[in-house]
Amino acid sequence: MTAVLDYRNVTVAFEGREVVQNLNLAIAPGECVALVGESGSGKSQSWMAPFGLSPGVAGGEAYLCGAPVIGADAASLSALRARHAGFVFQQPLTSLSPHLNIAAHLTEAFTQAGAPLPDQDMLIAALADVGIDRPAERLQQFPHRLSGGQRQRVMIAMALAHRPALLIADEPTTALDATLRREVMDLLNRLCRDRGMAMLLISHDLASVAHMADRIIIMHLGEMIETGPSDQILSHPASDYGRELLAATPRLTDPIPVHPVIGPPLLAANEIAVSFPMPGWRRPPLQAVADASLMVHEGEAVAIVGGSGSGKSTLARAIARLGPCDAGTVSWRGLPLPPRAKMRPQDRAGFQPVFQDPVASLDPRWRVADIIAEPAHHLGRGATRQFVLSIMAECGLTPDLADRRPQELSGGQAQRVAIARALITDPAMLILDEATSALDVLVAGRILDLLRRLQRERRLAMLMITHDLAVARQLCHRVIVMDQGRIIEQGDTEILIRAPHTDISRALIAASQ
Amino acid sequence: MFGLILRRLMASIPTLLAVVFLSFFLMRFAPGSPFDGERPLDPETRLALDAAYGLDQPIIVQFGRYITGLAHGDFGPSLVYRDFTVTDLIWTGLPVSLLIGALALLLAMAGGIAIGLAATLRPNGPLDCRLMLGMTLLTALPTFVTGPILALVFALWLGWLPVAGWGNGAPVYVVLPVLALTLPTMGAVAKLTRAGLAQIMTQDHIRAAQGRGISGWRLISRHALRPALLPVISYAGPAAAGLLTGAVVIETIFALPGLGRYFVQGALNRDYPLVMGVVTLYAALIVLFNLIADVLYGWLDPRVRG
Amino acid sequence: MRRLFNALPAMLVLLILVAAWLLPPFLPWDYRIIDWDHVSSPAFTPGHLLGTDNVGRDLLSRTLIGTRITTMVAIAAATVSLLIGTLWGALAGWCGGRIDNVMMRIVDALYALPFMFVVILLMVVFGRSILLVFIGIGAVEWLTMARVVRGQMLALRQRPFILASEAAGASPRFIIFRHALPNMAAVILAYLLLTVPQVVMVESFLSFLGLGVQEPMTSLGILVKEGADDMDVFPMALMVPGGVLVTLVICLTLLGERLRDRWTA
Repeated sequence: MTAVLDYRNVTVAFEGREVVQNLNLAIAPGECVALVGESGSGKSQSWMAPFGLSPGVAGGEAYLCGAPVIGADAASLSALRARHAGFVFQQPLTSLSPHLNIAAHLTEAFTQAGAPLPDQDMLIAALADVGIDRPAERLQQFPHRLSGGQRQRVMIAMALAHRPALLIADEPTTALDATLRREVMDLLNRLCRDRGMAMLLISHDLASVAHMADRIIIMHLGEMIETGPSDQILSHPASDYGRELLAATPRLTDPIPVHPVIGPPLLAANEIAVSFPMPGWRRPPLQAVADASLMVHEGEAVAIVGGSGSGKSTLARAIARLGPCDAGTVSWRGLPLPPRAKMRPQDRAGFQPVFQDPVASLDPRWRVADIIAEPAHHLGRGATRQFVLSIMAECGLTPDLADRRPQELSGGQAQRVAIARALITDPAMLILDEATSALDVLVAGRILDLLRRLQRERRLAMLMITHDLAVARQLCHRVIVMDQGRIIEQGDTEILIRAPHTDISRALIAASQ
Repeated sequence: MFGLILRRLMASIPTLLAVVFLSFFLMRFAPGSPFDGERPLDPETRLALDAAYGLDQPIIVQFGRYITGLAHGDFGPSLVYRDFTVTDLIWTGLPVSLLIGALALLLAMAGGIAIGLAATLRPNGPLDCRLMLGMTLLTALPTFVTGPILALVFALWLGWLPVAGWGNGAPVYVVLPVLALTLPTMGAVAKLTRAGLAQIMTQDHIRAAQGRGISGWRLISRHALRPALLPVISYAGPAAAGLLTGAVVIETIFALPGLGRYFVQGALNRDYPLVMGVVTLYAALIVLFNLIADVLYGWLDPRVRG
Repeated sequence: MRRLFNALPAMLVLLILVAAWLLPPFLPWDYRIIDWDHVSSPAFTPGHLLGTDNVGRDLLSRTLIGTRITTMVAIAAATVSLLIGTLWGALAGWCGGRIDNVMMRIVDALYALPFMFVVILLMVVFGRSILLVFIGIGAVEWLTMARVVRGQMLALRQRPFILASEAAGASPRFIIFRHALPNMAAVILAYLLLTVPQVVMVESFLSFLGLGVQEPMTSLGILVKEGADDMDVFPMALMVPGGVLVTLVICLTLLGERLRDRWTA
């Protein structure tokens, strides 16, 4: 049987620089192959450039259903894509044309391979097939009315409408809410199996593709590091890189970590409420957080988990006096904290935040040493270069980085700078807002190691916002689960993971497995 | 949609009142009077005139009267063109200004979008570069430079068209003023279209459509053009206003009996009601243009419809 | 070659500015003095490189002085718009909420004014003076700058590094002046460069209508107006000041757009 997609020594170059080297792969009908790698591994370019969807220059030979892809002129390549391939992209929010309704999108997808115009029933059936509720109603709606999960389902319906031989799904669930990822992955899996369609799945997360791929290819810096059946790669990776990748992803099945002992109460938040005014006339405000109380002890790490829009970040910012707070009190070592506008530098010195996007959280015009010293400067005591360098060393940063600017740092280095800045005031607590989720797997693993070391050595308390229970489990004594602005469940991490009481907790656990 | 229009109309009332208020008091606190002619009037005639036009009343009373009149569609009498009301003057001048402005706006939009599209077909190609340089040139050419040059070439040297005048709106008289007024706006529209398309073409939904095998003209017309025109539409409201007020210069160059000339004359002669009438009318027209632009915007982008 | 082409706008602007500010004292004829022997004389007449106007004043001198006045007004007005616009926009963007709403409503309302008419009104009402010309123009041109700066401020406020600075204990003033404004300086500069040609246009427009600077002072707009009046017999009088005006506006626009595209991308 001929392969649906056949790559022979494919290379991709950008302005003469090779980002993919000698990639060989073959996908048989009905087979699912996963291409796994960190950002910069060339995993996306390895399909976008040959298919003419990026400005990269592809070399070598590639065949889709027997027809050559590389070297084909734009028109025939376009026809080939329309006929045999379907695509699901990472960004469901922006991959639909904003001014066309769902029916127009689907009709276009149905007819792209030359099929006659579909009737209403076919469109409705296609939407129902991907699990969209009230499909008849959705047809007339515009993309902005649909949620991210629904939009990704529409993208999947479109990718499958013309019955392609090959589906290429590039990080299809990365931009989705954690509680939805598993569902969408399962949907893709079911549809492929039902229709005997071949699938190329691109992902940065080895664990998440393991259960659906027949074979896995691991890429690193444009090169194929290893390939094999997925259970073999998951159990006994042959390469060092594969082993490292596997070890860096925390999983709920890892051995139970030992957490440091905890001390007296440090921070107590009482009945916090936050609401946002909604645009429009006389629309009621959105209650982002309601009636949330929590306590953190010295040396204790507490995770706030929940889906997007659950209010977990809003709550943390309200507590840290970095966001709006309508009601409720926060006390620090037994004394009440003033409201946001009245916070003095010495009020803030005890707890410091670390944000999700490491590069964006550093002022691009400042030098690393000045960025790290800023909190000390506001405290009025300043910091000697010696002291800054020692904190940098503690966070694994070499002294030569001190005079660089943020854009000259890698993501991991930037996050270490952000952590160093948080440590310069010698705080008792860190507030980590998805501090590892924007980083590559290996880098995130090392940042997590650093945080664990700091937790032990400095007896740091932590308030950690995350959607990933497996990450939370690495550091946290306790877990608080939020949904729609309310705390719905909380308890000891291990107990909650073993015996969750709510559906939201169960969905979060499933997503972290 | 209806609610939006209604709300915008309500919101424009304070703006218009502010315009009336500002222009009223600005004019009144200015030195000079409409009755300052070549030689000074004797005090008695002066007082009589002031009384006849209500200028001897306290200023608040005058303002109140003016607003009341305005609410009834009455702009009051002209103080300089003594036999005419301001409404009469507006009715003679407005059609000329409006015709020229509307024609220029249509031409500028149609031509500008077409040129922007032509440039986008081969991004950064020789045609693109030349067109865009040309369009920058057009936006930088003030109408009072292009107007005389056009007249010089087409009227004086080639003799195809009349140099100036209105000729009761005969087409040959309209061509040059409209052309001079069109060019800078057309350049701006072309550049906005080009920039809008260039930005849209890198977006995710375009790549997704390419993945479905859509390419070339169909990709642009179906998936890119409508979102790319959004900045053009936001520009169109102020541009329409600019064309209307910009017509002041064109009317001067080509000696057209439009509203702009009445305005400049009125301002120089302290003809309070005339000046305020024109300013109020133009502010209302600008509000109207922006409203139309907003409605168009909603048609192009379903997201703002909510 | 390509590099030369890219540098051309900046070089031309510099050339025009230097000529306008340094050259006039060295010319044989002052811009006010009438040469009775040469009225409406063509280019290359002895002593008058570019000829004279219809009352016998040296065209080159007058164009250079006109350029000087026009650029002076433009720079002053652009500075006025920069100061008002940046402060207004930064304050609105920083405060957000209701204050922002009210401040931007005011800007919207002013946008709806037939602004050219307002400037004309100001000129007529308060009499013509150079000072007033640029205050009037600057007071109108600041609206765009305020919108741009507010937009930048709103976007910057969302950036985590601003929040991080607040968490570090920085005061609002420190954040605005040490973090926010330096990060939008490039965008502000680009729009400033784009404001200058706008102001040049408005000033010329006013002068053209006879509402700008007064004789014997001159400006590019007045020269173009005079040139247009007798272009049929002496096109030079239109071409020279018109050419300088257009070159200046185009080069500044190109420079501003290039900066803007580089920094807002």
